[in-house]
Amino acid sequence: MVTQTAAANGPEQDLAPEQQLQKLREVYAGASELGRAALEKMMPELEVAARLAQKATINGRIGIRSGKVSEFTLMFKLKPGGANRLRTLLGVLGGNFQKADEVGSVHDMRFVIFDNDTRLLFATAYDGEWDPYIVDFSTKIPDPLDALFCDCEGYPGMHSPKIADYLASHQVQADGWYVASPNLTVAETKRLEKIGKAVNELLDKVG
Amino acid sequence: MAMQTLTLPKQDQTVEDKIQQLRQLYADSPMGKAALENSIPALRQQLAGALRYESAGRVGLRQGKVSELTLIFKFVPGGAKRLRGLLQMLQANFSAEKVTTVHDMRFVFLDNDTKLLFATAYDGDSWDSYLDEFATKIPDELDLLFSELEEFPGFRDPSVKDWIAKYQIPAQSWYVAHPDLTVVEAARQKRVNKAVEEFLDKIG
Repeated sequence: MVTQTAAANGPEQDLAPEQQLQKLREVYAGASELGRAALEKMMPELEVAARLAQKATINGRIGIRSGKVSEFTLMFKLKPGGANRLRTLLGVLGGNFQKADEVGSVHDMRFVIFDNDTRLLFATAYDGEWDPYIVDFSTKIPDPLDALFCDCEGYPGMHSPKIADYLASHQVQADGWYVASPNLTVAETKRLEKIGKAVNELLDKVG
Repeated sequence: MAMQTLTLPKQDQTVEDKIQQLRQLYADSPMGKAALENSIPALRQQLAGALRYESAGRVGLRQGKVSELTLIFKFVPGGAKRLRGLLQMLQANFSAEKVTTVHDMRFVFLDNDTKLLFATAYDGDSWDSYLDEFATKIPDELDLLFSELEEFPGFRDPSVKDWIAKYQIPAQSWYVAHPDLTVVEAARQKRVNKAVEEFLDKIG
């Protein structure tokens, strides 16, 4: 797995919008007819996008953040027999990750086993900075995480001082990241749900 | 890419049966075995919970009102360079805002720029209606984003859903912090909150 550096993914901020669009036309000259036609239809929106301030930023060590929400995308090789163990463990858990509820910074989380059971994709959307996020998980729920990730090649264990480096070296930073409500953290959502409920109760009382 | 069928876990097992099954499974994994034993107190509580997710329709998992869609495509030659250029230009300014069913969406380049991972969390009654909405509302944007992928037929082509299903890999597990909160409902709650704050300011 080649780890991409932030610089490799960084936008061409030094180019003027017109130059950026010109460059895009050049790279799409070799695209299929479908792609070239779609690019021309999109040009008005692309011009707007090129002029807008950059919305996505690198979150700490690796990964992209939009507003307060970051993407965390990891790819692992699974040990022989690992896919079977992990699949059974996940099946038994049935999506009951109460500990993730307690950590309170995870919007969503998926485990995807692919390439004939040889690889695992683990992807989450989370609030906050990369380093505290990792520390939070590794100190609050190390054992469940060890059970989930023990079949990933080279996994050192959540108690190991190497864990952050291990995770960073298996993270693949996204090139595109969109969040519908970028300023809505999991905690803020909980607060809004409470307010909504209180307002409904108030309105019920007023009749 | 082999199509996988969704195997939902058995629900008639007792918690002790489940723990027994896990112990057998992890018996030959040294780190896993220890981690499993340490996790058992917490696991008992988790294993007593009902299955939290269900099928999202044709492919994928849904929890509450939110589903996962995970696709891994092959790029056509030169495709990764073009798509990267496009994404750098767009930054986070996607037209997905026009489709009010997308919670989040990521584009990740894999395996030395030969493959693309596209993963989203979305609202909807079903896989089919979600894709119909996209194909109807923003076909040009989608054609541009997906034009560099092998065998892409175009979003106006009736075979596009079969093409997507072919490259979708169903998740083995799916967690959502607020499974009943759709994108539309979140927007409504933000408005309610703003109105409450204004109201409190007036009487404050």
